[in-house]
Amino acid sequence: MKQFGKILKFELMGYAKNKIFVGITVFLMVAIAVVTFVPNIISAFSSDTGEDTVPSEPTSAPVMIISSSDPALSVTVQTYFIPVFTGYAVVISDEEPEAIKESIVSGEAECAFIMDSLSSYTYYVNNLSMYDSNTVIADEVLRELYRITAMVGGGLSPETASDILSVMIESRTETLGKDQMENFFYTYIMIFALYMVILLYGQMVATNVATEKSSRAMELLVTSADPTAMMFGKVIASCLAGLTQLILIFGTAMLFYNLNKSALENPIIASIFDIPFDLFIYMIVFFVLGFLIYAFMFGAIGSTASKLEDINTSVMPITFLFVIAFMVVVFSMASGSVDNTAMLICSYIPFTSPMAMFTRICMSTVMWYEIFISIFVLVASVIGIGFLSAKIYRVGVLLYGMPPKITTVVKTVFKKQ
Amino acid sequence: MLLEIKDINKSFGEKRVLTGVSFSVEGGRAFGLLGRNGAGKTTTIRILMNVFPSDSGQILLDGEPIDYKKIGIGYLPEERGLYPRKVIIDQLVYFAELKGMTRKDAVRAIDYWLERLGMTEYRSKRLETLSKGNQQKIQLVTALAHDPEIVILDEPFSGLDPVNAMLLKDVVREQIEKGKIVLFSSHQMSYIEEFCDAIAIINAGKVAISGSLFDIKRNYVRDRLVVSSRDTETIRADFADSVTELENGSLIIKLASPEEKPEVMRRLVENYDIDEVKVFEPSLNDIFVEYAGAQI
Repeated sequence: MKQFGKILKFELMGYAKNKIFVGITVFLMVAIAVVTFVPNIISAFSSDTGEDTVPSEPTSAPVMIISSSDPALSVTVQTYFIPVFTGYAVVISDEEPEAIKESIVSGEAECAFIMDSLSSYTYYVNNLSMYDSNTVIADEVLRELYRITAMVGGGLSPETASDILSVMIESRTETLGKDQMENFFYTYIMIFALYMVILLYGQMVATNVATEKSSRAMELLVTSADPTAMMFGKVIASCLAGLTQLILIFGTAMLFYNLNKSALENPIIASIFDIPFDLFIYMIVFFVLGFLIYAFMFGAIGSTASKLEDINTSVMPITFLFVIAFMVVVFSMASGSVDNTAMLICSYIPFTSPMAMFTRICMSTVMWYEIFISIFVLVASVIGIGFLSAKIYRVGVLLYGMPPKITTVVKTVFKKQ
Repeated sequence: MLLEIKDINKSFGEKRVLTGVSFSVEGGRAFGLLGRNGAGKTTTIRILMNVFPSDSGQILLDGEPIDYKKIGIGYLPEERGLYPRKVIIDQLVYFAELKGMTRKDAVRAIDYWLERLGMTEYRSKRLETLSKGNQQKIQLVTALAHDPEIVILDEPFSGLDPVNAMLLKDVVREQIEKGKIVLFSSHQMSYIEEFCDAIAIINAGKVAISGSLFDIKRNYVRDRLVVSSRDTETIRADFADSVTELENGSLIIKLASPEEKPEVMRRLVENYDIDEVKVFEPSLNDIFVEYAGAQI
């Protein structure tokens, strides 16, 4: 236990003195601070110049041409288009279609609707943008116009026709379980943070062990310290470092969000920082346990590699396992069915449950005993895998040369010593 | 103190690495553990240091099974290496703390050793900035800082210049004088001969020979004569197959049995112009070659 404390301290100091680790953390904190201040900075600038700002000339807006052989149709369409195409100067043109096309190509006008009738037109535009929704809007407007015209033709007054078409439906939604819309973003962010941190820190643990082995510091370590203390010390130190980094980054985000709350009126951002306390606790629990189970495996794999170059190939099976877990969860989240069979199974498998169960707790209704079983299995697995990886470590660190097959290592570990 | 290794056996999978390895080491005397590469020296040392257990056999200290919690072991591994990117004092303190020292004691002991080895100026530097020889001296500090009762030095002199080798010799002598158990493993026979009173030669996982160096040499079959003479060619012709020549021009005559010694000596003195004739005294190298089965 005493050795564990010394190893933990040494490893933590290693992270604290690692310039890249500290640099990235500080950079992210500063970046978040700056980003959260941006709306305030922008509004500060715009309020300074606000009084001097002259409303822009209508002519400065891009020109949208309406043309038809029937001047009355052109006027009707223009009347209805002006309120919906606010970003355009909607003008009527009686020029020939060829001349209109030329004016679009030359840039005098941006687009044109040449109307054959209320229900038929040709849209001209120079370069059709991916986000050009003018025809969709025009279709909607023209459809309404067509219906009103038809209703008026049938004897209704234009006002009645308009009222009928624009009737509002009142609706209320009462969520009895979880609101997936509201929880989606912080669940996603937590899953993504878990994914990033486990892969990054897992690799760091593996590299750390392999470096000790390749620099032969291991020769002294194995004769100085108990391998279980070594493994637990290293992995828990990396977990604490990862958690500290996340707390610093999210803490900064939280602090600066609250400082700039008034300027950041975005329901998505608000939902991220509005995480309920119980979910926050679950987040920490699943984060720590998920981190530990993978970090132990990364550490054990690192101990079997003699050279740093071997690490990437050695850790691939674990990375695959983890990526699959991530994919199952993210696809289930995106499809909206977080309680599908795959997710139910994944909620109890220790390698996938940190992400799967947490997602289900956030976005669905999960019974307490389900959570209990999932956490219990996870805790037991973390302890089991921790000790197993310490045993692999003890065997692995003394094997030099080609990385051994995992079956050979396991056989050696379980061989009666 | 008496350290006894008794009948140690060890296999890795199907491969038998050590078979019935036994030897004993006395405190206040240096012991040489010799063997070719892959003979089983490092495995023996690792079992001795409790890195992994033996399949069978015992390690006794003063007749009792060794208690690793009470006994300090200092180890200078053959494969040198510490943390290249870490500051020297930090890692030295870390290793000393792992060995059970308090931080305060560790710093005091490390400062003493850095001073003793002329390394104080590198205290706050990163290890990778040091030369190979200086890195080796830093590694020696990790082996000695916690004042262990048993000191195991694996190839301690390799890579050291003559001045540093002299410094290390002084340190080793000091450790021996303090009554510690000093176990050497080396291929440099001259150092073993200089320091060690007793040796064990391991060959293919078995102890080929062990005991006091003096006894081993004395018991070496005395069936060869070294002859310095002006009649080299005549002697060569007369003794034909049993003659080999040394680099200094002397001849070695191998006798059919040690009992022939007086008769052959008399013949040589009477019939040839002999400067010197004496019984061949084997060097440790000769003994090693014979028992370990190959030239170094």
